[in-house]
Order: sequence, then C-alpha cells, then structure tokens
Amino acid sequence: MASSSNPYEHYNSPQIEDDDLIDPDDATLDDLDDPLTQTQTHSNSSRAPLTGNITTSSSSRPLNENYLTSRIPGEDRRAPTNTIDESVWETLRRDLLAVWSKMREVLYPKYLFGGSMIDNTSSFRGAYENLRGAGISGARDELVGLAGRALDPEALLAQGNMSEGLRDWDLWGPLVFCLLLSLFLSFRADSEQKSLVFSGVFAMVWIGEAVVTMQIKLLGGNISFAQSVCIIGYTLFPLVIASLLSVFSLPTVARVPVYLFLILWSLAAGVSILGGSGVVKNRVGIAVYPLFVFYLGLGCLCFIS
Amino acid sequence: MDAPQQGNLSWRLSSHPITLLCFLGFRISSLLVYLFGLLFTSNFVLIFIITILLLAADFYYLKNIAGRRLVGLRWWNEVNPENGESHWVFESSDPSVKIINATDSRFFWIALYSQPLLWVVLAVLAIFRFEFIWLTLVVIALSLTVTNTLAFSRCDKFGQASNFAGGALSSGGIATNVASSMIGRFFSR
Repeated sequence: MASSSNPYEHYNSPQIEDDDLIDPDDATLDDLDDPLTQTQTHSNSSRAPLTGNITTSSSSRPLNENYLTSRIPGEDRRAPTNTIDESVWETLRRDLLAVWSKMREVLYPKYLFGGSMIDNTSSFRGAYENLRGAGISGARDELVGLAGRALDPEALLAQGNMSEGLRDWDLWGPLVFCLLLSLFLSFRADSEQKSLVFSGVFAMVWIGEAVVTMQIKLLGGNISFAQSVCIIGYTLFPLVIASLLSVFSLPTVARVPVYLFLILWSLAAGVSILGGSGVVKNRVGIAVYPLFVFYLGLGCLCFIS
Repeated sequence: MDAPQQGNLSWRLSSHPITLLCFLGFRISSLLVYLFGLLFTSNFVLIFIITILLLAADFYYLKNIAGRRLVGLRWWNEVNPENGESHWVFESSDPSVKIINATDSRFFWIALYSQPLLWVVLAVLAIFRFEFIWLTLVVIALSLTVTNTLAFSRCDKFGQASNFAGGALSSGGIATNVASSMIGRFFSR
C-alpha cells in the first residue's frame, strides 16, 4: 500500500556530457540515446541518494534541490503534465499489476525450480519429461536436484538479481494477508477471546516480520526494511490457506502433512526471494532461520486453532 | 448564500469535485468508524478490519490520486537494488501548465495536517483509558497519516524550490534551451 510501483523506472537524472547537450537536427531515432539502455548504465547514479550541494550539482542536475534538507535525502522531478495527470485507471492498473507480479513470485518459488520466470515453464516441463521418461529414478534425480538447489546457498546466490517487481515494494500484501490470517485464526476462538486472538496474531505477524528483517539487516543484507516486510508479508499466502483450512476444521490427521507442506511452501518462497536474490551473501542459512521459526510458529497457531 | 469566493472551502468551487469528495470521504470515514463503530456493533474485529482497510485506502488514494490531481504533487520511495538504501522521490507539476485550484489545495492541506493531529488526540485518549487493544490501530493510523503528511510537505517544499530554480534559469537564454531540450529529451519516451 505504501508505494505504488514507480512509473518512472526508466527515468534517469539528467546526465549530460559536454558533446551531448543538443542532438543534431538530422539525427534519426537510432542516433538518440535510448533511455532504456541509459537506465541500465546509469542506474547506479540515478538511484543513489543525492549528496553534495547545489553549486556543484547545478550544472548537471538543475532540478534537484537537496540543500533544503539533510535529514531525508530526496530528489525532485518535474514531470510533464501528461504523466502526473494520468488517469485514475492507469494508476490502479499499474499497481494491481505490481501486486500480481509479486503474488506470482510467491506462487512459483522460482529460484528453487531454477532459472528465471521465463525459463520456469520449460523447467517444469523438463522435470515432467524426466518423470515420464525415467520413472522412479528420474523422479528421485529431480527431487535430489531440487533439494540440492534448496540447500545450496551458492547456487541460489549465483542466480541473478532481485526482480523488478520486488524492488518496488508495497504493503498491500502484508496488510491483506495479515488481516486474513488474524481473522481466520480468531474465528475458532472463544467468543470472548476473539478480539484478543485477533489483535495478538496481528501484532505477532508484524513484530515477527520486523524481527526477521532486523536480523537480515544486521547480517548485512542489502535490502531495505520495507522491502523485506513486503516480501515476508507476501509469502504468508500459504499460511493463510492453512488458517482457512483450520476454519473449516480439517481433521487433525490431515493437518500434519498439509500444514507441513504449506509451511515449506512459505519457506521456499521466502528463501528463494530473499536468499536467491543475493540479499545476504554467504549467510543465507543463518538469515532465513528466523524466517523458518516465524513460519513454523504461525503454522503451529493454525494447527492448534 | 452569496457568490462564493475563489479559495473558499466549498466543494462547488473545486475543479475535481469527485476526487475531492472521495478524498474527504476516506479521510473522515476512517475516523468515524473508529469513533462510532462500536455504537452499531460490539464486534471488535469487524471495526478493526474496516478501519484498517479505510486507512489503507485513504493512504493509497491520497498518495497516488488525490495528491496529484488536487495539488499536482506526488512522492514515492525508491530502493537502490545494490545496497538496499531507500530514498524519496518527489514530483511536482509545472505551474505554468497545470493551474492548482485554490479551493482544492486549501481542502487538501487542511485535511492533510488535521488528520494526524486528531489521531494523536485519540492516541492520548486510548492510553489514558487503558485501551491498549485499540492502541495498535491508532499507532497504525498515526504512522500512515504522518508518513503521508511529512512526504507531501517535503514534496511541496521541493516543488517550490524547483520553481524558484527554474525561474533563475530562464533569465539566461542558453540555460533555458539546455534545460528544455534536456527535459524534452528525457521525457519524450
């Protein structure tokens, strides 16, 4: 909820070389700078917090006035009216798509299945072909490979960077899933304890997210607080399913395997997003251990409710 | 009623009446549900959820829709993927292109600054009446509204500073050319 996805991802602060001030009149479209590639090359400078004062930066950044404040580093962008006046529908659509892209990351914990989102289908299909072709041994190979990928932090780290969708955090997922989880868990409580259970679970989820995030930050993870809360909040989705099953009073015998699977799903999503994106180098195990405890605690709550 | 003056607090003078009414509706309804919800139902959970959802909707609406339509300002938070540092980005509309309605902006700023103050009062009340279960909700409301208020006031300052800088630039012809070609280039995608 806090952040709509950024409409100016590919905007970069004016970086002007002397020979590049004014494009020649006869330049074709290909001669001009491609803003997309520029974003890649200059992403470092355009995303870094601005420091320095206006006299040194005015030649290249006449619109950035950060001398006004030293406490919150910021940046001002004068947008043409056609972007700040976009229609309400465009804003909503962009943010809904951003939420959906994050949900997709949780639904398919992609780093465990190898490759990026695009390779994902082929990877699944490959696994399926293996299963059909080689029977039991092929299945075992697949499982061993999966477990190996899950347990091998180096392989996780070798895979690319954090995806676009997760860089732009929002708090819709954490909010909605936290509310749903507390709501479902409070359904089965005694009528006079409903509100206590609800607010207890609600507070526990947020405090747990904060603690796990602090742990990752203290271990030197290069992730912002809100981003981590966003990711952990979205990975609560399988646990919401677990709490929903509790509401419909799933028999205890069935609960053990199903809830274990859902907890592992949460963990897989959390590990693949936090660990697989190179957030904490060399310390994936110790960084995600509290995450495991957090999911396990919530899973136990679902189990006993 | 005599003819209303420009800038009066009357929604008829607004250039975006629907946006303004929705904005005020979200702002006021979250407070009303929190204050008077228990008169209609004794279900704490229901009131809690409705209030939180209204607060979230208000936050989103103010940040992404009301802010840019009423006063032409927008802010967001960007994270540097390499080191995880976040920084604020502020955006303001060009005053020569977009004319900000005085009524809209007065409504906007009054609602923006009064809401956190009201929640502070409610927080003090909740503490002194030992209703800690409600305090969770008040803390969430405070953090959401204060974030928006701080961000928008800073955004406004940044916007005014760029207007000033833009005016200084336009005194020199070459500077204007450079600036406009630059802006044109970077926004003509």
